[in-house]
Amino acid sequence: MAELKSMFREVLPKQGQLSVEDINTMVLCKPKLLPLKSLTLEKLDKMQQAAQDTIHQQEMAEKEKPPITH
Amino acid sequence: MVREMEPLLLAWSYFRRRKFQLCVDLCTQVLEKSPYDQEPDPELPLSQAAWILKARALTEMVYVDEIDIYQEGIAEMMLDENAIAQVPRPGTSLKLPGTNQTGGPSPAVRPITQAGRPVTGFLRPSTQSGRPGTMEQAIRTPRTAYTARPITSSSGRFVRLGTASMLTNPDGPFINLSRLNLTKYAQKPKLAKALFEYIFHHENDVKTALDLAALSTEHSQYKDWWWKVQVGKCYYRLGMYREAEKQFKSALKQQEMVDTFLYLAKVYISLDQPVTALTLYKQGLDTFPGEVTLLCGIARIYEEMNNIASAAEYYKDVLKQDNTHVEAIACIGSNHFYSDQPEIALRFYRRLLQMGVYNCQLFNNLGLCCFYAQQYDMTLTSFERALSLAKNEEETADVWYNLGHIAVGIGDTNLAHQCFRLALVNNNHHAEAYNNLAVLEMRKGHVEQARALLQTASSLAPHMYEPHFNFAAVSDKHS
Repeated sequence: MAELKSMFREVLPKQGQLSVEDINTMVLCKPKLLPLKSLTLEKLDKMQQAAQDTIHQQEMAEKEKPPITH
Repeated sequence: MVREMEPLLLAWSYFRRRKFQLCVDLCTQVLEKSPYDQEPDPELPLSQAAWILKARALTEMVYVDEIDIYQEGIAEMMLDENAIAQVPRPGTSLKLPGTNQTGGPSPAVRPITQAGRPVTGFLRPSTQSGRPGTMEQAIRTPRTAYTARPITSSSGRFVRLGTASMLTNPDGPFINLSRLNLTKYAQKPKLAKALFEYIFHHENDVKTALDLAALSTEHSQYKDWWWKVQVGKCYYRLGMYREAEKQFKSALKQQEMVDTFLYLAKVYISLDQPVTALTLYKQGLDTFPGEVTLLCGIARIYEEMNNIASAAEYYKDVLKQDNTHVEAIACIGSNHFYSDQPEIALRFYRRLLQMGVYNCQLFNNLGLCCFYAQQYDMTLTSFERALSLAKNEEETADVWYNLGHIAVGIGDTNLAHQCFRLALVNNNHHAEAYNNLAVLEMRKGHVEQARALLQTASSLAPHMYEPHFNFAAVSDKHS
């Protein structure tokens, strides 16, 4: 350790100019915490889904019916 | 030998156990045996009971708490003439979120929604209903969580739900509303209440419901506060806010109820008078000290007015009364996360997990909190769980987007690149992912690709500052 200390000496300039270059970095969008859904919203979504499914099923059933032939 | 239970009793039992479909089927059988059809006959009390029970079961099946519904359609938003001041003073309107005076996180830390508010920790039917400035924006903003397209009118959704329930019934609707003799029903208060709720919630025929409610109030000689509240609810649905206000106020004079306070506050929020709503809530708190829904209402208004500090205070008050309040926990948690305290946020989200909330959003948030709180062992497992629990592509996209951040954090740009790509595969309108992908492309030195991505991002989400800033930075460098 003593050797290391002698090898590296800290340099603290007391005179002269200090310059910092301002580099424009690009920004990332921030991580997004996902909001939890309220019970009402979940129920509404579920009901809407169920309603859509029923309608979809009915449409499918109607399509599958054989066309009326004379 | 098995003895059969009395069918009506069994139906009641089903109703109490919330097996509504079974209850309805049984009631239908009872009604078939002793037909009662449209006219309630005092001579047949049994069928009358079955009739009421069926109406109530059908209502319960589609019942949604009316207090929680604030949905605004495009028509209501764009053609709104109810607001008193077109150019309101700062701090008195929900339309302009205003600058953040209270020292909450800036958009550089906490993402904002299109309306210019910081993202919230909890999604209700009304959140993100910030009124967009132009028609184009109005069409583009999703109304509900992620899925729904903007609805054209607030009643549209309910009407659709109603038609679907009718389709399932081969014999047509249970009660034929156009053939009802409302005056007759209004004279039988017990029957009328069940019938009203059926019409309002199941059939969503607000006009008929209003007629019935008006007749019933008249019959009760304007002495029944319940009917006044119902009339007010109908007016509210029809967009006649001033009339609704009168009804609710009159009901409050008769009997102070928490519900009525909440409905009246809802009217004020629709009229864009958040300060009046706040005073009303506080007035309600004098009568019902420590009432959670009122406290929560105050917190929501503060949050919408971008006064995050006061909102957090009220959410804490909510938790003092009810320490399992999901909304309060989630909001305080997200608040801590965005004010640079992910380890505290982690404790709130863990609490939610302990309470039994088990969904994609929660695991995603847990994963993010774990990563930023340097608990790396749990991070990836949480995200895996979130991915497996995702219900639709939008949710998957958000999880991949956040995973991309983890990858950026550990310096694995290839993984990050793939994550953001996957986010875009799942949701082609994910502006944040476009922006971050552009940043990664720039690091690789692909200027043109980055430009294209940034342009897409800024056209998708003009409210975000990042794509504009980055585009300027790129142009500055390689003009």
